[in-house]
Amino acid sequence: MVDLPQKMVGLISCSGEGCVEGTISRIATLLVLEKLRPAQTVTICLPLFLAGGKEERAFAKFYPTITVDGCEKLCAKIGTERYSGKPASSIVVTDLNGNQNCSTTGSKRKLDDQAIALTEKVAERIAQEVDEVLNHWK
Amino acid sequence: MRTKGIKVDDCKLSEYLQTVFEKFELRVRKGYYYTEDGVWASVEGAKVRVGVTDYLQRTGGDVAFVELVKLGSTVQKQTGIGTMETAKTTVSLLSPISGTVEEVNGMLSEKPELTNSDPYGEGWLIILTPHSLEDDMKSLMSADDYFQLMLRKLETEHRKLESR
Amino acid sequence: MNSTMQNKVVVIPCSGIGKALGTVGREATYEVVENMRKDVTETICLALLVSGDEESVQLVQHNKCITVDGCPLQCAEKNVRIAGGDLAASLRVVDALRENRGLKPKSVAFLDSDGQQLTRAVAEKIASKVDAILGA
Repeated sequence: MVDLPQKMVGLISCSGEGCVEGTISRIATLLVLEKLRPAQTVTICLPLFLAGGKEERAFAKFYPTITVDGCEKLCAKIGTERYSGKPASSIVVTDLNGNQNCSTTGSKRKLDDQAIALTEKVAERIAQEVDEVLNHWK
Repeated sequence: MRTKGIKVDDCKLSEYLQTVFEKFELRVRKGYYYTEDGVWASVEGAKVRVGVTDYLQRTGGDVAFVELVKLGSTVQKQTGIGTMETAKTTVSLLSPISGTVEEVNGMLSEKPELTNSDPYGEGWLIILTPHSLEDDMKSLMSADDYFQLMLRKLETEHRKLESR
Repeated sequence: MNSTMQNKVVVIPCSGIGKALGTVGREATYEVVENMRKDVTETICLALLVSGDEESVQLVQHNKCITVDGCPLQCAEKNVRIAGGDLAASLRVVDALRENRGLKPKSVAFLDSDGQQLTRAVAEKIASKVDAILGA
């Protein structure tokens, strides 16, 4: 057997329609996937995960996951716990914004400066959690 | 799968050699022959069926168009038999052998996604009557060799991501 | 959210993360519900629907729905059906890509110009379906 060691963390972001925090959750997750930790992370598509996507669920069963939720409904965290197991870490966007909803200029998808700053903060936090999880992974 | 790393599975009972990269299972069909570009050839009596590998469809992305050479055409080894256009890129498909095109997979014009969902089955591309099969086969890879090539490609990709 | 709202169409994107066409579908949905047909459309979160949120389930069961899927796995269509939604139309972004050959949206987080062009095309299709459903 050949081993290809690959420590990876699955990032599960909420779908987040209808609120700007959902958009922030998604974009922050993508920033980590594409820029901050591209070799250490993989995305798990939440709708596919919840609907029974075998690759998504198989990965989440055997690799550590970090869930990123926009709001207190915690779709990503609850779904992951239900179908795979407790995530290694859970991040909620409103928690990082002092338990407040993020103000916007009116659109849920066009982030204003404040929302962009929060997105970057969330991305940094996700990246830190990825490092923590990988450090503890024996 | 296990919690650390990727296990390479060479289960003799399986039709495939397979590995897991990130969350994707990548398979190589045993008993087929392969080009380095990711095209497979399966000998079926006097004919040869041709398709794309799991690795090629996965790296190419969701296929929007598959355009193939015309029925009755003569193709030379390593010349074009069509293109596979995805949301990301357009891939030129080169014939693994020389021959005459006896069948073209008509399903792909309406359902190009078959090349993604079933690359070794319903997503086949063309069937050829070979002109010089024995000679052409000499430069094709076995499933084991292509599998090792695929693993090397995956490792290279992973290193590129690490160096970003 | 008023689950029994009258004469509105619920547009549900797949919200697929990791593929540019998922972002296109989502952006196109927002273009329709925030601008093009803002008084007659609404969107909901697919994950909330799939996890059984009662309000979301009632909304799709009592209103006409259009799903917008970014990939052939068609999570939005399948899950609206499973929830018993009144599915009036299901769109696939890849079909719009086939009609706009040559566009290659690359970026996932923020759409590039090809992605924006494709978004406009998909938004037009969604808006046409909305009009057809409402008899406009």
